[in-house]
Amino acid sequence: MTLSLIEGLLLVFVLGCAIGAAVLRDVLASLMAFAAYSLGISIIWVMLEAPDVGLTEAAVGAGIMTILFILALANTVRPQENGLFESLSVRTVVLVGAFVVVMVATVPSLPAIGADGAANPVVSGEVTQHYIDNAYADTEVKNAVTAVLAAYRGFDTLGEAVVVFSAGVAALTVLRQEVFA
Amino acid sequence: MSSDERTGLYVESTIIMTTVRVVAPFVLTFALFVMFHGANSPGGGFQGGVIAGSVVMMLAFAYGIDAAREWLDVRVVAALASGGVLTFAAIGLGTIVLGGNFLEYHLYEQFISHVVAYAIELVELAIGGIVASVAIGLFFLLAAGFGHAVDAPEDES
Repeated sequence: MTLSLIEGLLLVFVLGCAIGAAVLRDVLASLMAFAAYSLGISIIWVMLEAPDVGLTEAAVGAGIMTILFILALANTVRPQENGLFESLSVRTVVLVGAFVVVMVATVPSLPAIGADGAANPVVSGEVTQHYIDNAYADTEVKNAVTAVLAAYRGFDTLGEAVVVFSAGVAALTVLRQEVFA
Repeated sequence: MSSDERTGLYVESTIIMTTVRVVAPFVLTFALFVMFHGANSPGGGFQGGVIAGSVVMMLAFAYGIDAAREWLDVRVVAALASGGVLTFAAIGLGTIVLGGNFLEYHLYEQFISHVVAYAIELVELAIGGIVASVAIGLFFLLAAGFGHAVDAPEDES
């Protein structure tokens, strides 16, 4: 697999932001690194031809989540501490390092980007082919992702929508409010 | 939670107010485009709902959270959230009433032609309403701070 210059730069940017979000001492700085990470990942999703996921990541991860985190932060006291980075204990580094090694070990077993046929079980799978072949005839929508989301897996999506609704109700209950606003 | 405690969050700026005033209608239009056109292009209810919710956050950013809270009708937010869940569930359960399975859109074909695409649009709009109103709601709840919970007497519930 070869990376183009933009892809390589984006991966370095995303990794840098992720590490920054973990080790920066100031919570606001860490938050900004996290938002930048989300934005970088959303561009990577678009490059991997998953624009639906990219749009969600940009709107939710980089947008709303950052605003909500900043608002929560505005309601807390920021301790004035010296030093740019969090001091890391050896135990944490070893544990996180071991986790990263385990995750990276699974990468070679993934199909190459753009691989076709038997080399890519996701693309050549029976279920995928069924959706690609029948989505438009069955649902009259051109975006197969929407067809799966709203028709084939509609019951799951209702569950997701109810989860979002319940999250709002739970927040109201916890904060003892009766109305949103 | 008095307003003076929150003044640090809001800075009145002509530039921000003017920008938001100009941009907000376009952002809302884009949100509706993402929701409606999600059936034929990337997007859908979840993404469009978040973008629609961000319009209210932009207004709060420009005109102050308290002003936005007063301007916003809480009944609209509640109606969007619960109406979305009810609409989605009604579309799903309606097909069971007609003798089919949950969300078997084709059974509505006897009333309206090409109903599957319309029903999917309606489902996307319902999802968009839920997501937008919950995002707005969480925004205002977090902005109000957690003082209310502390102030409220424990035996109230």
